[in-house]
Amino acid sequence: MRFCSSPAGGGKHNSGLPVNTENEEEEEDKLVEYFRAQIRGDPDVASAVAAIRSLLEFLRRDQSETILGLRENMTQAIRRLEETDSSVAVSSGGELFLRFISLTSLEHPVRQHCTQSSCSARAQPSIASLLADLSQCKNVMIERGELFLKKISLSRGKVGKLCHTFIKDGAKILTHSSSRVVLKVLENAAADNKRFTVYVTESQPDSAGKRMAQKLRKLNIPVMVVLDAAVGYIMEKVDLVIVGAEGVVESGGVINKIGTYQMAVCSKAHNKPFYVVAESFKFVRLYPLNQQDVPDRFKYTADILKTVKDLNQEHPMIDYTPPSLITLLFTDLGVLTPSAVSDELIKLYL
Amino acid sequence: MPGADKETELSERIEAFLSELKRCGSGAGSLRGSAETARETTSLLRRITAQARWSNAGDLMEIIRKEGRRMTAGQPSETTVGNMVRRVLKIIREEYARSRGSTEEADQQESLHKLLTSGGSSEDNFRQHFTHLKANVIEAINELLTELEGTTDNISMQALEHIHSNEVIMTIGRSRTVEAFLKDAARKRKFHVIVAECAPFCQGHEMATSLSKEDIETTVIPDAAIFAVMSRVNKVIIGTQTVLANGGLRAVNGTHTLALAAKHHSTPLIVCAPMFKLSPQFPNEEDTFHKFVSPHEVLPFTEGEILSKVNAHCPVFDYVPPELITLFISNIGGNAPSYIYRLMSELYHPEDHEL
Repeated sequence: MRFCSSPAGGGKHNSGLPVNTENEEEEEDKLVEYFRAQIRGDPDVASAVAAIRSLLEFLRRDQSETILGLRENMTQAIRRLEETDSSVAVSSGGELFLRFISLTSLEHPVRQHCTQSSCSARAQPSIASLLADLSQCKNVMIERGELFLKKISLSRGKVGKLCHTFIKDGAKILTHSSSRVVLKVLENAAADNKRFTVYVTESQPDSAGKRMAQKLRKLNIPVMVVLDAAVGYIMEKVDLVIVGAEGVVESGGVINKIGTYQMAVCSKAHNKPFYVVAESFKFVRLYPLNQQDVPDRFKYTADILKTVKDLNQEHPMIDYTPPSLITLLFTDLGVLTPSAVSDELIKLYL
Repeated sequence: MPGADKETELSERIEAFLSELKRCGSGAGSLRGSAETARETTSLLRRITAQARWSNAGDLMEIIRKEGRRMTAGQPSETTVGNMVRRVLKIIREEYARSRGSTEEADQQESLHKLLTSGGSSEDNFRQHFTHLKANVIEAINELLTELEGTTDNISMQALEHIHSNEVIMTIGRSRTVEAFLKDAARKRKFHVIVAECAPFCQGHEMATSLSKEDIETTVIPDAAIFAVMSRVNKVIIGTQTVLANGGLRAVNGTHTLALAAKHHSTPLIVCAPMFKLSPQFPNEEDTFHKFVSPHEVLPFTEGEILSKVNAHCPVFDYVPPELITLFISNIGGNAPSYIYRLMSELYHPEDHEL
């Protein structure tokens, strides 16, 4: 049974929140299941990559007849995914995928009635009424999507290769919580026969730092776990600080596990370089001016958002580090200064 | 055979250039300015393009890259050589893209946008042959040479906007760019210059003599007096050896002290540097960043007794972080240090950062 998702039908309220038909619910459940299976199958995969892979799968199975319908289904699917995993990375991956669809559909406008909408590059909102044959466009999307997915799966390796030259022999490195990208960087540096010591903060409330320390011990890297409160104490001993990021915002700042901001302020006070390693799909279109500006849906885990009434009583899981405290950002697009990040985002979204 | 003669002549010239580079680097400072090095490198690259044997852009880029590696290995601290090689490589890429008729010049860089929209056949190995490519590349290199010749003048033309009457300007050591800059302003304005002598080579003395010949009131101070005098200074104008990719500088030793003193007194620090000094390196490579010369200027061999008990070093360069710099004045105008990444992406292609 095909569900009709053209603008005429589908029972959509004026408020913009669609009433799901049963089929749509089913599709979305399958999507969430697929997403969870991805994460389970490969614990090392970045959550944004898993999200994009699931969305690509959703795109394959999608039955809409118009681009608008497709976009709406996608938006709904992304919202569903964000409810499952409220991290910034999933949100940025989803937005990137939406942008990918818009760009591809603009490049391959199939037979349409309104020639105006295809000519202007800013036609994003008016892709609306293209009652045309979608399958060719969808095939291109799927093909490009596969390519995109392949490229971004390689980004972590690229970042690792870029960053490890900044670690000198005999360096003492401080890192925060558990980041797979930082692990890759340290792995590359160790493979390059460099000798260095790592200090990891425990990173409460989930003690992720201890997991990181275990992984580092397996690589034979000398590591020491320190208390979150000991960052100021240990800062004079370290040579540089490397952290990962859950999201990189437009100003060039980063959103990362709680405690990162503290570490950045300390390292600035001691004049130590503060490096952030992140893949480019984590660039997100937010511009927080302070900690309060970061949306609540990122600050707390998905379960807490659903169950708890008064969020003021909960502890946030992430914080925002402003760009003035960051020395350099290592991404798969190259080594960037914080001011270069907004340039990248502008190139993509405008 | 004329072909073989040309080739041997070409390799002779390259060898001569390399030995010139190696010899100059061991002197105190540089016996020839960076501008001359840049010009000679570019002329040499033009000669290589004209005389070497290549059939497509890929071959030419390989040849230039190989020669570039040899040249930079000859004198790693002379980054201008590497920068010019990278400029020429970018020129070749652009001319190739233009010959192919593709209009994606702006898409040369990696970007999120490119990631999303590329159709998969973006691997360009530059193997197509174009008959006019050689002529186009040589013409573009000629344009580059013209640009190089005009850099000092372009920078000096901006002097009047930045220097006002009755100001006290401080500088350190001897920079030909800053010299031209100040002399140009002196034609219309009256101001006072304080030159820090920049031990141990004391090039500040030559700078002061040269400036005073143009009727500019000059004072020479020892490096230790920089902080003491800084409160009376309106602006600090310096030159540099290299501008790094993060907006920092690799300048003559003593510049970091000057920059810190200026920051403390909130005095603007202006760096006059032509674009060919912009290098895609970051300040992390400690082994190639510094250059040390003979310490006999610091501790003469006549002090034989204590030599065995004391370690003396004589570093040539200093690193100045980008937070201490207010403005870069280059031949394309004034820019903030946070904008350097953009200038770099316009001059060099990311794949050429590592030669």
